[in-house]
Amino acid sequence: MAKKILIIDDDPDVVFALRMPLESSGYEVHDAHSQETGLAAVDTVKPDAIILDVMMDTHTAGFQLAQKLHGPTAKEEHRQIPILMLTSVHQTTPLRFGPDEDYLPVDDFIEKPVDPKVLIGKLEKALKK
Amino acid sequence: MSTFPSADPARTAEPRALQPSFEELSQNSRLLIRLRWVAGFGIISGTLFAKIALKTDLQILPLLLTGLIVLGYNSLLARASYTTASQNERTLRRAQQIAWGQIILDWLAMTILVHFTGGITSPALIYFVIHAALSGTILLPWQTRSLTLLAILIVSGLALLERAGLIPHVGIDELGLDDNLHQNTTYMLAVVFFFGTTLLTLSELVTYIAQRLRQREERIRQLYEARATFVRVATHELRAPLAAGLSLMKNIEQGYAGEFTDQQGAIIQRVIIRLDGLRTLIDDLLTLAVSREASTAQAPLEPVSIRAMLDKMIEREAPQAEHKKLVLDCHLSDEPGITLAGDVGLQIIFGNLLNNAVKYTPEGGRVEIEYTVVRMSRAGSAVIKIADSGIGIPIKDLPNIFNEFFRAQNAKNAQVSGTGIGLATVKTLVERYKGNINLESEEGKGTTVTVSLPLAPKQSQN
Repeated sequence: MAKKILIIDDDPDVVFALRMPLESSGYEVHDAHSQETGLAAVDTVKPDAIILDVMMDTHTAGFQLAQKLHGPTAKEEHRQIPILMLTSVHQTTPLRFGPDEDYLPVDDFIEKPVDPKVLIGKLEKALKK
Repeated sequence: MSTFPSADPARTAEPRALQPSFEELSQNSRLLIRLRWVAGFGIISGTLFAKIALKTDLQILPLLLTGLIVLGYNSLLARASYTTASQNERTLRRAQQIAWGQIILDWLAMTILVHFTGGITSPALIYFVIHAALSGTILLPWQTRSLTLLAILIVSGLALLERAGLIPHVGIDELGLDDNLHQNTTYMLAVVFFFGTTLLTLSELVTYIAQRLRQREERIRQLYEARATFVRVATHELRAPLAAGLSLMKNIEQGYAGEFTDQQGAIIQRVIIRLDGLRTLIDDLLTLAVSREASTAQAPLEPVSIRAMLDKMIEREAPQAEHKKLVLDCHLSDEPGITLAGDVGLQIIFGNLLNNAVKYTPEGGRVEIEYTVVRMSRAGSAVIKIADSGIGIPIKDLPNIFNEFFRAQNAKNAQVSGTGIGLATVKTLVERYKGNINLESEEGKGTTVTVSLPLAPKQSQN
């Protein structure tokens, strides 16, 4: 059975760009566009991995959702799902919107613009964990 | 005399009085303590001079004792203000108490000094002016006002008590004043009136200026915050569509959207390169904006671990190096290497240098990172060397390499995206942190950048 990937991002073009390589690699892709619908989709879709954008309705929506899913108060079944976080911050740029990424409860980061090969590679690695 | 007209009628409803910051309090307290050393020794030497050289009939014992008491409580204050070097809610309160306390102690010492040098006729009366001014810089307006009124009350009380004969009047004959001057009601009232109004006017004036300065500082801080927010939001708005567009283009480039002709492929390549260049420009402009802030004198310096920051930045650059099959050769000392810098600034320095090394080294090349700590008797420094086997810099371009927006010709030819902002920013920041940067390069062979940063003195490392 195909593994289910949930993309939570409010930019339809980014969702489209992620969907293409994921579907052609055989994943079943679902999407949500806000923190609330994303959280609801985690329970209905029961994804094998989540790809989460940092900034949606607020500048830190992604951070907050990551905390809800993997933080100290998270449900055990949520904690099992690997999260890949999409960031659009350049490597040499220290301006980040939320807490330092070292303290974020996510499994890996994917830099925007997304390189499909990098995306598939990191996803496979996260799913193996 | 207690209010000053506001220059701007729209701002007559002044915001609440601003508390002096911890920094302002401790700085002004330290100034007061330094001045008091001079005052204490001044009382002692002045008394001895007046007695021995001028042969006045001063009562030297109480005056010398006053000088010693001043020196005594000053050394206690100096110790107290030394132990409150770090800022928090508790130490701020303590600094405020120390500010209050020392002005009251000084008022009392000066009253004794005034009493033993002629009471209302004492030439030392004018010294109260110094404190009326200083209290305006470290206390809230109502506190300054109360203390100034207290000083006027003390002096008038002293004059009244001496006049009524309840405490003895200590006159100095050599001043040539009428022995009964202190009993002259008109003279007494005149002195108290001019003394009081001078003190009140001065303390109000200083309070007003200090408040204006604090308000201005507050407004500058708010402006800085607003600008930082603007830069962040604007950058996000600029980046988001570019990132989405580039992500889509990469799907076509990598064949996820079906077959395309060679010519279409070439066009896609060019579009990606141009959009990548635009992305670098946005990122670099943001870095420049941030580093300008980080390199200003206002940005506080704090102890930061060089080793920890290097680890973090190497980790960030590693995937890119791996992608280009570069050998990352790290020789890093285990010492944390605490330097006084800014977290953001240090990230920019190492991030840029590592990013350059990886960016300008062709596939299969090598990047060496060396970090050593050099200790001398008291101080020490950390040396960070980043050497690559990249395209290098032509000798004619070396003198300009740290100039803003300058890019070497071979870097432009190599079609590596860049803006020429990185090294200029790095140099400004390294100098702000009192370090040195040195760059050696040979075209076609590689570049070595060496940065040395001073280690923080031991006590500020905790």
